[in-house]
Amino acid sequence: MVFAYIANLLALAGIYGIVGISLNVAFGYTGLANLGHAALFGIGAYVSALLALSLGLPFWAALLVAGLFAAFIGWLLAWPTARLRGDYLALATLGFGFIVESVFKNWMDVTRGPLGIPGIPKPELFGFVFASTESYLLVVAFFLAITYFVVKRVVDSPFGRVLKAIREDELAAQSLGKHTHRYKALALALSGFFAGIAGSLFAHYITFIDPSSFTIFETILAFSIVIIGGMGSVEGALIGAALLTFLPEPLRFIGFPSAIIGPARQLIYAGLLIAIILKRPEGIRGEYAFGLGEKHAKSKQA
Amino acid sequence: MALEQLIVNGLIAGAIYALMASGFSLVYNVLKFLHVAHGAIYVVGAFAGWWLARVVGVPLPAAIVGALVLSIIAGVLVDFVAYRPIRKKGEAALLMISFGVFIFVQSLVLLFFGADVKSYGLPIERGLDVAGAIITPLQISLIAISLVTMAALHVFLKFTKAGKAIRAVADDAEVARVVGISPERTILVTFILSSLLAGVAGVLVGMEQNIEHAMGLSAVISALTAAVIGGIGNVPAAVPGGFLLGIVENVGIFWLPSGWKAGISFALLIIFLFFRPKGLFGGKTRTV
Repeated sequence: MVFAYIANLLALAGIYGIVGISLNVAFGYTGLANLGHAALFGIGAYVSALLALSLGLPFWAALLVAGLFAAFIGWLLAWPTARLRGDYLALATLGFGFIVESVFKNWMDVTRGPLGIPGIPKPELFGFVFASTESYLLVVAFFLAITYFVVKRVVDSPFGRVLKAIREDELAAQSLGKHTHRYKALALALSGFFAGIAGSLFAHYITFIDPSSFTIFETILAFSIVIIGGMGSVEGALIGAALLTFLPEPLRFIGFPSAIIGPARQLIYAGLLIAIILKRPEGIRGEYAFGLGEKHAKSKQA
Repeated sequence: MALEQLIVNGLIAGAIYALMASGFSLVYNVLKFLHVAHGAIYVVGAFAGWWLARVVGVPLPAAIVGALVLSIIAGVLVDFVAYRPIRKKGEAALLMISFGVFIFVQSLVLLFFGADVKSYGLPIERGLDVAGAIITPLQISLIAISLVTMAALHVFLKFTKAGKAIRAVADDAEVARVVGISPERTILVTFILSSLLAGVAGVLVGMEQNIEHAMGLSAVISALTAAVIGGIGNVPAAVPGGFLLGIVENVGIFWLPSGWKAGISFALLIIFLFFRPKGLFGGKTRTV
């Protein structure tokens, strides 16, 4: 019982960890404040659930297609990033997020709107069904490890250095002959790919999805994970996800009614987000603080 | 529903959008970041009016004045606690902290007042028939109050010393400082004005419809959409922007199911961002 409870929190922390790492690729490393990130997560969840339910695709294939589809949408999102930056990019991606949410809510024939999609199957491998929380934790851990190593590889590569250069000074990166738009498109595609995988893991874990899990508030939760953990740090996103998953849990034991736990949870993560931005903008593990460059954060730590 | 009725509904919604958008646009012009917590000030205004009138039990006019004062206090407090310490850290930090403040305030309202829908409990009026559409006297005064407030804002910005200071800082903060305009004082006046506008919008919506803790999000999204449509560098343009958004949104459901109402306004937002980022009435754009 206790182990299942902890396994459940770990599984959720793992899924949000992937969400955080994927947002970090776009926001923490490349400086693209994609306010539609939860939409990519949601697209992954819906694509995977629908493929598994209507075409009977096995989980593993559905997950891969969900990731690829979300990557494609992320790549399409790069179109506005070619023309817009800063606030305008935030506005455009915010609008994108709401339009996707609107589609989830209103395309009744496919998504069943606010009724949601129940009965999403659990993963299966050689006849073994990952039905228990503990076994699902293994699935999450497997994909979290893949995400971690792939993203780590990418951001430490020359490609990753160009992303950071775009974040610091796009014009300078262009003057060095980098096609920054192409890099931003690839960053958003990679970000979308892992967000889509996280969405698929979420859908097959909870086994029920509806539009309320993919709103702007989930996007801000993802930003909180990245900012609290530290922008531009893969480990930071993991720490942030674990912190935000476990921190509100004591409320449950104090015995608050659930009507209070919901808003109190939001209060905690919003308060934490505000406090971190004010007092430690580089986050717990970050090497980078909002527009101040890596040097600033490092000299402050020294 | 008849087209006339949808246009009237659009005007009513547009009156609120115009109020919200002008306050949002004001902050954007002076400080150059998206003040998402503007939606939280609007919630504070709406709930303060309801709390004073229905829980404390003061007469409605006093409750309205009290609500506006509380909105202003909330807005100035947000600026003082959250924005001021990170003024120079750029738009991303300010935008994120603004979202943090928005969620923080919304959760506080939910904790204190619960999730149920609340009403100011005004008597229900008989609607008048205007050109084939039904509109209540309260709705007519709502549109009128919005227009008068907008006109007063325009006069304030154009002719008073504090208003001119706001326009100067919005135009070029450095030059404004050089000629002796105090930036912090101007920012204070900006937040007083913008929070007053959000408070007026919140109270008007409270009187006309029901209120709930989650009402702030759609309000601030409409505000920023209307501001973009009008031209985000141009405060008075928020008024036509707001009315246009209200009408397009409401008339749009003449052809589409009403669930798509929100989708219509975001589509409009994206269309403007791509094809006319300057908005209808120009203003400065920060796209490169």
